Amino acid sequence: MPENPTSFASRAGRARGAAFAVEDLHFAYPTGQPVFRSLSLQARAGEFITLVGPSGCGKTTLVNLLSGFLAPGGGRITIDSQPVSPELPALGYVFQSPQLFPWLDVLDNVCFGLRMRRNGDLSACRQKARQFLALVGLEGAAGRHPHQLSGGMQQRVALARALVLEPTLLLMDEPFAALDAITRAGLNDQLLRLAGELGQTVVFITHDVEEAVYLADRVLVLGMAPDGIACELTIDLPRPRSQRATRQHPRYAEACTILMERISAIIASAPGRILGGSGVQAP
Amino acid sequence: MKLPSPSWSWASLPAILIAWMVIAADRPSYAFPQPWDVIREGVSWCAHGRLAEQVAASLARELAGFAAAVVVSAVIGFTAALVPGFRAFIAPITGIFMALPPIAWAPLALILFGLGSSAIILVIFIASMFPMALALQNGVMSIRESYVRAARILGADRYQLLLHVYLPASLPFLTTAWRIGFSQAWRALVAAEMVGASNGIGWMVAMGGQIGSSSQVLLGIAIIGTIAWVTEFLIFRRIELRYQSWHQH
Repeated sequence: MPENPTSFASRAGRARGAAFAVEDLHFAYPTGQPVFRSLSLQARAGEFITLVGPSGCGKTTLVNLLSGFLAPGGGRITIDSQPVSPELPALGYVFQSPQLFPWLDVLDNVCFGLRMRRNGDLSACRQKARQFLALVGLEGAAGRHPHQLSGGMQQRVALARALVLEPTLLLMDEPFAALDAITRAGLNDQLLRLAGELGQTVVFITHDVEEAVYLADRVLVLGMAPDGIACELTIDLPRPRSQRATRQHPRYAEACTILMERISAIIASAPGRILGGSGVQAP
Repeated sequence: MKLPSPSWSWASLPAILIAWMVIAADRPSYAFPQPWDVIREGVSWCAHGRLAEQVAASLARELAGFAAAVVVSAVIGFTAALVPGFRAFIAPITGIFMALPPIAWAPLALILFGLGSSAIILVIFIASMFPMALALQNGVMSIRESYVRAARILGADRYQLLLHVYLPASLPFLTTAWRIGFSQAWRALVAAEMVGASNGIGWMVAMGGQIGSSSQVLLGIAIIGTIAWVTEFLIFRRIELRYQSWHQH
């Protein structure tokens, strides 16, 4: 893998991420109202997109459509011009909860995908898995079982398990939502560094506006179903991002404020359509 | 506020023994013997190797019927969990067999196979196969869809899902099913031996009743209970404990 973690400026131009396109997407669950009506979205290779929006607006549904776990009712989703399916090697997915396999130790969890895709023999797989465990700072936990790790460590293993296959499109559904703020900040930086090194395209769902701005090249705000993308905001903050410099940047606070206002407006305009509690966490 | 309550499980066995001795105290030993009479009976059975012969005969039948049931229930349980059509087809059959006491099949089995082990093994098989298949089916169906999704996105095909997700994820249910199945098989074995065998522990109890030897009956019951307890708590429960940590997250 490329060893130059400082080359963030050019990450969007790198060839190792996948471009994807969503065209005129329609979707409804069998028993419900339409979730999307004519949604379109393009992402450049290597772009980091965060998705925010009120609860029930369809963020997870959109990511499940991008992963191919759900089939669109109409329209087309392509990843590097290929129709999407969960088996595409391009895809990586980090779920809201780590979903590690409890019958395998940490190393074999990270190995799992390499073995399924038969990327070399077991010892080669394990060696590569060890490298990626080291990237998330968990080489010492290789022999432990998932239930022996903290939530943050489990999510790092899940990240390593997805990254070891070097997916070109990484989907993440509120992966750090259950973690405390300090752990989350650390994982955000780790994610930016790793995705930057690998040049991946990332789609990252969060309900935290600050996290959305901190990570993204572009923030998409989803409106209430079935409105689709209500607005988008390009985040023109220098990379590499850092907890201190980025958060003190005037454009950071400005972007957060704009997004909060947009989301509040969406919620205010549709009071009867909010499904759960507030999906937005105040900064 | 609640104080930690001491466990009283140690007291149950002595309590049974005391109750036994009280009941036996004013009765003649041929009607209701004292524990030491039963121990004496046990020693005399051991002396000629006759006790070992009965235990071995029973265990051999138990293992044969149970092993066959383990194999068949694994196939039926997994298939029913993963194939909705087969599940719908097998559900009434399982329901009928589980509603009937297994011993009710013994006369038919004896007519088909004659007196001896084959008929008893068939009864054991019926007794343990259906509960195991059902426990396994429910277990496999409770495997979290999210494991399957995680494995699919990591590249597992259908065959790999079966081998690397469904099979290991069902190990805890498999061991629970075996524990249930073994104890069901053991109950059915004793009952079946009482009506249709010429050796074994069940036969020993039934013979004791026919010749009027209460000590022999109680000796047989004690052995049946001991073997059931040892397999349940010292073997199957211990295996199950290994997997409990899985459910902590």
